[in-house]
Amino acid sequence: MTTLEFYDPCGRLEVRQPHAPRLDTLRGKRLGFVSNEQWQAFRMLPLLKSLLERDFPGVEVLPIDAFPQGNALIGNEETAAEVKRSGVDAVIIGNAA
Amino acid sequence: MTLTRADFVGVMTNAISGLGLAPAAAMVTFPIEMFLPGSDISPVEARRQEFYDGLTRWSLEPAGNGGGASAMVSVQGATPEDALVRANHRILANQWGDGLPVWPATRERVEWILQGTPLPREHVLGTFPPRGGVATVEGCAVALAMAGGRPEYLPVLVAGVEAFLDPESGSEQLQAASGSAFPVLIVNGPIAPQIKLNSGFGCLGPDPQYPAGASIGRALRLMQQNVGGARPGVGTMANYGGLRYTNVVFAEDEANLPAGWTPHGRERHGFGAGTSSISLAFANGATNIRRRGAKKETPEEDALQGMHRMADFMRVPNLAGLAGYERGAPGILMIPGVVAQTMTGLGWTKRSMREFLWEHSRIPAEQLRRAGGYAWIEIDASAVTRDSAALDPWPITATPDNFILIVAGGGHPTNSYWLQGYSPGVVGREIRVPEHFSRLLSEAERDLTGA
Repeated sequence: MTTLEFYDPCGRLEVRQPHAPRLDTLRGKRLGFVSNEQWQAFRMLPLLKSLLERDFPGVEVLPIDAFPQGNALIGNEETAAEVKRSGVDAVIIGNAA
Repeated sequence: MTLTRADFVGVMTNAISGLGLAPAAAMVTFPIEMFLPGSDISPVEARRQEFYDGLTRWSLEPAGNGGGASAMVSVQGATPEDALVRANHRILANQWGDGLPVWPATRERVEWILQGTPLPREHVLGTFPPRGGVATVEGCAVALAMAGGRPEYLPVLVAGVEAFLDPESGSEQLQAASGSAFPVLIVNGPIAPQIKLNSGFGCLGPDPQYPAGASIGRALRLMQQNVGGARPGVGTMANYGGLRYTNVVFAEDEANLPAGWTPHGRERHGFGAGTSSISLAFANGATNIRRRGAKKETPEEDALQGMHRMADFMRVPNLAGLAGYERGAPGILMIPGVVAQTMTGLGWTKRSMREFLWEHSRIPAEQLRRAGGYAWIEIDASAVTRDSAALDPWPITATPDNFILIVAGGGHPTNSYWLQGYSPGVVGREIRVPEHFSRLLSEAERDLTGA
């Protein structure tokens, strides 16, 4: 019997920060969208906004264009800082690239 | 929390781990059909509770931390050959291979390859986008072992990985994007002939006389896939993925540079004479362009017609060059040494060739408009690119200097080669070799020639 031992080529991952804690409820919360403005985001995200407002009285959902949109802008530090400054409790990101 | 396509989950997971988070997230996914124009989006309402849960109840699976360092795998076989076969099966089952047979990266083989660098094996080169796997010198040796490489190739691979991981290269986006980008490594300096890296006939393909390029490029691709997470259709959305078995790794034909032509590494990156270096750009197309005339052209006509054919080929509104419009590259034009020398004799210079190509590849506004080009220009992140929309005819790149013009290919005047650029930046790195490099070269000579 021959044993062949070899390296896993994937390397390690470093987890440097935790995921954001979840909200206890959506009632009374302030939510936002970060959109790449592609893949029908202009239809799906407004629908989601209206659903949230209907299902959770008192929730504040910012307009779809409250933050910079587009693949070139949504991933940069300036946009992240703007989202934080806005005081939203959570964001929904859509619609992939 | 994220709304995304079902086929994009791997890309999203990579992006999340690339940020240093555990590789999982609250996602609501739908089939691609819902993301197309005119689609039925009612499933968003039907599944709205999943969005609400993602914001309030989602929690991370405890096993999702990505694993540890330098894990080993073992297989057993009845004979050495059986063990090798089983190892290859395991490698494919784990999605670590590329479909061709690989050398399992055993401790012995990795130790042997690590002789090719002066750097410690644990030296961290960076995190490989988009997954964020930690790229080390040892990881390079593992990939090179799998790709059939040798110790003397390792310095080129390490320099290539360093350049790849430089944010200026744009690899973070290109690794996952649909445009089928592949890295192109252009090597200058004495190391190229020393390690038998091809600069002549067939320099972009596999060659038993010059085996270095295929191994180095394949190793880089394996790292893109395994450390970087760019598995087709899972971690990268590249529609076609051309040239991914070996990427493109070749040397400039410095022995046949015309008088007055500066090697690429020195011209673009400022490396000193005699310095071995790599230059990394991204491309997403490769086309042969017929350069020579067929009848009784004068030398001047032959040169001019060839230049027009090359520029005409570049004058297409597919906008690949937008990625590097401001300071990257619209492409890499390869011409054989004999052509460069002939054109130099006719009064052409590297600069005048670039200026000709820039001027004659400009696209009339009407052609750009009918192809929908302005929409892509107007949404570009670069102000220089957006402002270029006012130019008519529209230059395919901001300045002639962005064209990469390389002397390479067999000594035959009929063809040139255009690697269509998709390259936000062009990154150079010096290649560092260990003190005992000459011994490694002697051993390679012994091994590869039967001497």
